[in-house]
Amino acid sequence: MSDDARTWLARLQALDLPRRVRILNVCGGHERSITQAGLRGILPANVELIPGPGCPVCVCPEEAIYQAMQLALRDGVILLAFGDMLRVPVNVPKDEPRSLEQARAAGADIRPIASPLEAVQVARDHPDRQVVFFAAGFETTFAPVAAMVAAGLPDNLLLLSAGRLTWPAVAMLLDGQAPGFDALVAPGHVATVMGPEEWAFVPGQYRIPTAVAGFSAGSLLAAFYSVLRQLIEDRPFLDNCYPEVVREGGNATARRLLEEVFAVGEANWRGIGPIPASGFILRERYAAHDASRRLPDHTDATRRRVGEMPPGCDCARVVLGQIYPTGCRLYGRACTPRNPVGPCMVSDEGACRIWWAGGIREPEPGTAA
Amino acid sequence: MCLAIPMQVVEIDGFNARCAAKGIEREVSLFMLQDEPPTVGDHVLVHVGYAIQVITEQHARSSWELLDEVLGGERPADA
Ligand code: SF4
Repeated sequence: MSDDARTWLARLQALDLPRRVRILNVCGGHERSITQAGLRGILPANVELIPGPGCPVCVCPEEAIYQAMQLALRDGVILLAFGDMLRVPVNVPKDEPRSLEQARAAGADIRPIASPLEAVQVARDHPDRQVVFFAAGFETTFAPVAAMVAAGLPDNLLLLSAGRLTWPAVAMLLDGQAPGFDALVAPGHVATVMGPEEWAFVPGQYRIPTAVAGFSAGSLLAAFYSVLRQLIEDRPFLDNCYPEVVREGGNATARRLLEEVFAVGEANWRGIGPIPASGFILRERYAAHDASRRLPDHTDATRRRVGEMPPGCDCARVVLGQIYPTGCRLYGRACTPRNPVGPCMVSDEGACRIWWAGGIREPEPGTAA
Repeated sequence: MCLAIPMQVVEIDGFNARCAAKGIEREVSLFMLQDEPPTVGDHVLVHVGYAIQVITEQHARSSWELLDEVLGGERPADA
């Protein structure tokens, strides 16, 4: 552990803590750092760290993945997606492909990419084919997607957007019956792009202590210290514990590009349902590149378990911070990274996968929410 | 997926740059840094092939130490 981390830990341990404090994070990268650095083990036992909605792939609508598969299977498009998306299961009868990976094995032209730049390249390399970029992601990822669109797309490149904003999910939790957390650590790279101010409503309207954190143990421990002290002194405000990267107003170019390319509207979150003002939707002027307007709609509302998580999978409650991954009956039994049942075990940002990779095999003491 | 990797700008051609990290070079778009264009030698945080922020060299080093721990040698292209 760095000196910086040790200093913050010592300060935190000297605090006169309340009986139980639940700190929510909404970023798969934070959860990975917390788990890999073993921060849960070194914090006082009354401080609980709860992984929340930090995985865009986990909440990507099941209907959208099904639609993407059908475009590749039936309409012969080249379907591009971030690699994380390929193994996410949809609910189909046993004899049908149940993921993009299986659709690819069945002959569909589906390719994993790591950057929107690759999508443009594939479209240029295949001018005679229709190419669809099926993109899931939060603000950090959708700013580059917006940059790709604004820079000018080849005619044959269409976008199927499953882009989501992070703060509306937190607002939804706070407006619910039992938010399930006492403090929030806000996502560092989302705040890099959008500016930390987006999170001011959490301490401002809901009086929940909040701090933006980076990804080192030092920055995370500084943020935990900050929110705990805010709680003890009953003085909630928005702290920035990642000042070397997160600046006031965020990245102005990125925000302008997002605004220019995408409208923000109600959007569906898998297993959770619609959340107001939480989805990036291509603006009218880019309609010619919008796969959801240009291509056949294969979503079938009568399909069994349409839109739901796979049977037995508690991923939606994991995403909402209502249970820990170990609270799912299938965790480590029927569901492992090798044979994932739900998206939270597929994605690198999924809490189930992060916990399993971090060697967590036993239920944690205390349960979430 | 919101993981971002620190890289150093080696060469700039319009909005396209070659950036390096740990001996690996990659094409990186500077399209999102139009309000604050970096120069050769600067460090940037790169996410899905796009530079999202200019950072100090000191921060570039410390997040590299972190990524080494977390990713155990995963390649920057996977970020
Ligand atoms: S362990 Fe598997 S089945 Fe259970 S919630 Fe996580 S992804 Fe779903």
